[in-house]
Amino acid sequence: MTKRILPVLAGLALVAALAVALSSPPDVLQGDFVRILYIHVANAWLAFLAFGVTAAASIGWLVRKKPGYDRVAAASAEIGVLFTAVTLFTGMIWGKPIWGTFWDWGDARMASTALMFFVYLGYLALRRATPDRQARARRSAILGVIAVVQVPLVYFSVVLWRTLHQGLTIRPDSVQMEPAMLVALLVNVGAFSLLYLALLTARVRLARLEEAVEAHERAPAGRAVTAPRLETGQ
Amino acid sequence: MSRFWRQALQVAKRDLLVEGRAGEGVGIVLPFGALAVFVVPLATSGSASLLADLAAPVYWLVTLLFGMQLALRQTATETVPQRRLLVLLGLDPVARFVGRTLSAWVLLIGLQLVLIPLVVLFYEPEPVPTPALMLPALALYALGLAMLGTLAGDLTVGLRTRTALAPMLAAPLAVPLVMGASQSLISISRGEGILTWTLLLVATDLALAVAGVVTARPLEETAT
Repeated sequence: MTKRILPVLAGLALVAALAVALSSPPDVLQGDFVRILYIHVANAWLAFLAFGVTAAASIGWLVRKKPGYDRVAAASAEIGVLFTAVTLFTGMIWGKPIWGTFWDWGDARMASTALMFFVYLGYLALRRATPDRQARARRSAILGVIAVVQVPLVYFSVVLWRTLHQGLTIRPDSVQMEPAMLVALLVNVGAFSLLYLALLTARVRLARLEEAVEAHERAPAGRAVTAPRLETGQ
Repeated sequence: MSRFWRQALQVAKRDLLVEGRAGEGVGIVLPFGALAVFVVPLATSGSASLLADLAAPVYWLVTLLFGMQLALRQTATETVPQRRLLVLLGLDPVARFVGRTLSAWVLLIGLQLVLIPLVVLFYEPEPVPTPALMLPALALYALGLAMLGTLAGDLTVGLRTRTALAPMLAAPLAVPLVMGASQSLISISRGEGILTWTLLLVATDLALAVAGVVTARPLEETAT
């Protein structure tokens, strides 16, 4: 049931988010370019959430050793990388007309986000390189816990360093944003959250199927024949 | 001396002894790093001011990339039977991490000390007013790289793609170290204080030390 409802809901929410973003008022300084930020900021927040889920599931695996945690950690990291790529791309196309450049090396937020992207690309590469399921889960769980340190660094980079990026717009005590724009942003965050959930459940289900296929392919050879363990063969 | 430190020093001593016999770091990685320092000017117009500007970036880049090669050298990698034997002998995995880091740190300091005169000779950068002030930054930078290399090496032990994968995992995480060390040099050249950058290096080293200690045991399970 969930596997059909969630994608439909996510699709409808994304259409609604697009409509709200396009009908929101233009910014006094940025004009219509402000609309890119609704996607940019929503994707950045969801990337943080995705990597946070990866870390939590990694801890879950290290404590309980249940394969479900590993599936969630891996799926969330993949989606996090996708959202980070969208964040970087939309940031660059917004930066050219507003800041006059696609990329600014002096901006700590941009540089740290790109680094976070590469760290999680490394996480995915480590998973691909480890054929044994148990070893893959352990190694990536350890890296998943270490790598999450990047998330607060990226988030607070605008506070810690002087950068082109503006400071935190939404704080617990104050919101420095026009109400109509805030609504557009929050609707987009909600829509992308649903997309994240839809992608996560689909990817976890796919991972379970992949494991079933893998187990099925191994079966005909019988227990007398086992594949060589490439990972520890030195 | 406690049992832990005796074990850590034994691991470091063993690593350096094997390295001394095999000569992987001194005989291969070090000359390769020196070659990289030598080749960069050939790919530029050869302008003296450009080379002077490139001196520090080339130095940090070469120490990062070739430092990773040193930390991940084959002579500091045990086979699975060797690892199992060490576990059966009661080697503390944290002592193993500390020992391996120490040996990599010694080699990295060596790499840095060899590269400094080469960069000065070939690139003729602006002289640094008080070079001795750079020593803590260089030591902390090397220590961070050594811990990162040891961690990445343990995460990828036994994998066929280890040579490419481990530096890929380590390089993005090494950025605070490169920033701390390179900005220290810039600050010293300008006659400014380096406390902020030293603190960044110390904080990064501490975070890596905690990560190394916490993950030592699960990583040992993976490798055996």
